[in-house]
Amino acid sequence: MIAGRDTLPGDNVLATVHRVWPRRTAIGGLVASAGGLLLFGPRPSDDVPAGRVILDYWEKWTGAEGEAMRLLVDEFNRTQDTIYVRYLAINSIDQKAMIAIAGGSPPDVIGLWNFNVPSYAEAGALLPLDDLAASAGLSRERYADAVWPLLTHEGRQWSMISTCGSLALYLNLDVLESAGIDPASTPRTLDDLDEMNERIIERSSDGKLERMGFLHTEPGWWSWIWGYHFGGSLLDSTGAPTADAPKNVAAYEWVRSYPERFGSRELLAFQSGLGFYGTAQYPFLTGKVASVVQGPWMANLINAFAPSLRYRAVPIPVDVGELDAAAPVGLIDGDVLVIPKGAKHPEASFEFITWLQERARLERLAAAHGKNTPLRETSTGFVENHSNGSIAVHNALASSPRAFVFPRTSVWPRYVSEFDAAFQGLWLGEQTPRAMLSGIQQTMVREIAKERGGRRRREQSAS
Amino acid sequence: MTTRRPGTVINLLWVTPWLVGLVLFFLLPMGMSFYYSLTDYSMLEVPLWIAFDNYAALFGDSVFWLAVRNTLIYAAISIPLAAIVSLGIAGLLDTDHPVSHVVRVLVFAPTVVPLVAAAMIWLWLFNSDHGLINAGLSWVGVNGPNWLQERGWAMAALIVMSLWSVGQAVVIYLAALQDVPSALVDAASIDGLGPVRRFVSVVLPTIAPAVVFNTIIQTITAWQVFATPYIMTEGGPDRSTYFYSHYLYDQAFLFQNMGYASALGWVQLLLITACIAVPYVMVRKFGGGP
Amino acid sequence: MSRRSRVPRWTSLARVSVLIAIAVTFAMPLVWMLATSAQTEDLAMSPGLALLPDPPTSLPGQAHDNYKSVLTDETVNFPLFFRNTLIVVLLGVSGAMISSTIAAYGLARVRIPGRRLILLLTIATMLIPFPVLMAPLFMLYAKIDWIGTFLPLYAQFWFGNAFSIFLMHQFFRALPPELEEAARLDGCSTWRTFTHIALPLSKTALAVVGLLHFTYMWNDFLAPLVFIVDRDMFTVALGLQLYQSRAGQTPWTLLMAASVLTILPVFLVFVLANQLFTRGSISGGVKG
Repeated sequence: MIAGRDTLPGDNVLATVHRVWPRRTAIGGLVASAGGLLLFGPRPSDDVPAGRVILDYWEKWTGAEGEAMRLLVDEFNRTQDTIYVRYLAINSIDQKAMIAIAGGSPPDVIGLWNFNVPSYAEAGALLPLDDLAASAGLSRERYADAVWPLLTHEGRQWSMISTCGSLALYLNLDVLESAGIDPASTPRTLDDLDEMNERIIERSSDGKLERMGFLHTEPGWWSWIWGYHFGGSLLDSTGAPTADAPKNVAAYEWVRSYPERFGSRELLAFQSGLGFYGTAQYPFLTGKVASVVQGPWMANLINAFAPSLRYRAVPIPVDVGELDAAAPVGLIDGDVLVIPKGAKHPEASFEFITWLQERARLERLAAAHGKNTPLRETSTGFVENHSNGSIAVHNALASSPRAFVFPRTSVWPRYVSEFDAAFQGLWLGEQTPRAMLSGIQQTMVREIAKERGGRRRREQSAS
Repeated sequence: MTTRRPGTVINLLWVTPWLVGLVLFFLLPMGMSFYYSLTDYSMLEVPLWIAFDNYAALFGDSVFWLAVRNTLIYAAISIPLAAIVSLGIAGLLDTDHPVSHVVRVLVFAPTVVPLVAAAMIWLWLFNSDHGLINAGLSWVGVNGPNWLQERGWAMAALIVMSLWSVGQAVVIYLAALQDVPSALVDAASIDGLGPVRRFVSVVLPTIAPAVVFNTIIQTITAWQVFATPYIMTEGGPDRSTYFYSHYLYDQAFLFQNMGYASALGWVQLLLITACIAVPYVMVRKFGGGP
Repeated sequence: MSRRSRVPRWTSLARVSVLIAIAVTFAMPLVWMLATSAQTEDLAMSPGLALLPDPPTSLPGQAHDNYKSVLTDETVNFPLFFRNTLIVVLLGVSGAMISSTIAAYGLARVRIPGRRLILLLTIATMLIPFPVLMAPLFMLYAKIDWIGTFLPLYAQFWFGNAFSIFLMHQFFRALPPELEEAARLDGCSTWRTFTHIALPLSKTALAVVGLLHFTYMWNDFLAPLVFIVDRDMFTVALGLQLYQSRAGQTPWTLLMAASVLTILPVFLVFVLANQLFTRGSISGGVKG
């Protein structure tokens, strides 16, 4: 009762020829090519010049964005001879950085998400940059008003900026025109937006939605911003959550009006037919959704796939009671550079970061990413040569007194996670805005209390 | 059959390297992770001892219970499905016909295809407008749901997707089926036993060790499901496909609660052990288990 | 010895149609990958399934462009990643096979005190989620200065691999004991019995263990992500990541071409190993 084999006496010779030799040649070929690759294949380039301080810079960008930074890093390495920056760019860099910090061998510079700063700072994992920044002349006045809060937490500065982007409403002017709307008009209030939507909506002969003017879930990357456009906020000045404040409830009542009016099922069906971001089928490009909430990088997509599209970016509309044309409301998102505590050459790290903070270089990076400038002042030509025709709008948003950033609490990732999940429930018609927001509020009150309790416990045990 | 010589020390040499590896690469890190589970630890600063607070907090954590429930449902359906499908496909492919060889490669292929590619094809398949599945359903007059965006249907879609990965189990079954002596199978059929009785009385006892192996692995895989839902549904809609490993990952790296995540990891270990112990006890009768 | 005519009942309609259904279902990701890797971006991203480009004759040309682009990309050095992965995987698989087979035989056939416990412990290690192990493992490797080398990716397998040990253990248990007992009675040591009797009978099992571990290591992305700190040491799994941009544009056709190149070696290994677990093909076995 062993490995079975069905054979005919005498079938072995032929079988050997037919079975064994092709297999042997295949194995031989495989071994040969593997050997060839191992022996003669490409080697890692060992071009780290001797005698320099070596810095490890980990960044989260891949693709074209990662490349833009790599060019700058290469230039830095070329144009001076005391420091060499080793650039490592991969997704999930925050995960990797956390493990490296925990393991006691952090890199020298990390490109973090802006929402990482509070938790990293509170944990004491970052080097405070106040003194270094002051002596390098990188003061608050250099930066756009809305950018500065991204760099600081609880009164100290923990990071410098690499890129930032403000959110605006992109309008597909071709679609607007075809619906009889003056392409020069600007929806300023959410009522304007609703009205624009009504005029643009098209349905197929069997009642299915074919085209919409606006849809919260397209792209739906920022489910939590709507309260701000009603004058509300998610965190008060003491750091306590305010998710269920009346203005937020009003905001999500407005959000819910869409699935209520058009039907959750119908909207889901419409959504599932829409293409992905980063492709030519993105609904804004194909005209299926006439306006989207996006950052300035949107222009890169338009230029790549629909260069003849006429578009314009305007500040995202606000509730009618909040209208103030001089102070548009918009989220400022940003990527920051930090020096982890335990970095071996903090001065060299900061020298590299300072080099990047040069206006020309930040603008070059911003232009390559398709983003607006994080600085207060703009060089001549930045706006004119920018790939985004509406970049001036994005720049203005970054300087607006009502620009806002993510709620600066170390439990922000949890807050977003709760919001995203609850928003889906709201969109499916499964809960009311009030219930959704008070659910989030309860969870976040608990989480923030836990966080604070933990921090207190640490301070006590340290003393 | 075992050696007659007791010679314990020499016998231990067989497993000494593995024991060293076990300790170094598993027991040590596991010990550290158990320690972390008793601390408040974000990875960004030193751990702070809090004893069993994390475990106590688990009980009151509604998201934890939600994750357990989702994973339990997923496991309860996908494990038996995978077991039956993998064994069935292996049985069908247990011949030396060129077509069989081609289909074997195809069945194994999805386990190798990078998830990013597989995700695209599934998104297309499950698309409610022009996806193949709903197109097929509409031919028989059924209005297909919006698979990935509706509660319940998203879970169903993920379970269907899990069947794509049976290739590994199929390969193991094919190897095990090789040892089934065709003479005995033929004798059984001559004796008048139908295909099912032949399978149960002749084939199954021979491949019992492989069945034990695959069932255990499929159980572990189901309980640890992470990558596919992470990409396809991101745990949605409204956390209806939020599985245990996803919550663990979020706690560790997103919410920066590695201590709590470690506690979650240990509880998961207990849950999976319980899940394996039941069939193990049942399969003991076949004598193929450890 | 009469030949049993193993006419596979291919004429059976049910069997054929089930096989076709299986073939089509499982082939879909593969076919889509291959098709997309030879298309232009426009065609690849258009809704619906477009397998052939508009003038089908442009397929070879576009495929050549895409693959050439991947192989000669200055920033994503795929041939280098290939080489790195080859080194790591060959070292890892050979180590795993040697160490796991020995340990498995010990647990299956040698009277070791506490072997049942050891086996249970072995299985238990597979129950620990990797994110929980990642940080302590990284700290361990950092302490012994292995970060920055390939060692964290393959060294542990030279001690053993739980999956492989468990699998080989099951295969060894299934071997009929008579041959080994006969060898022992003839005076063979346990080791000789292992090398001269058990191993030759286990070619199939070894092929399976080797194949599965090769596949696992080749596509593993988490371990390289955590332990590799130098872009020049990336594996292909990490290299694929480089094509995916979050807010930018992912060049899907290039990503698919890179994916096809990535899985090619695994396919080759499978096709070769497949010979060994086919009923009726020449494989290690002795009619007893």
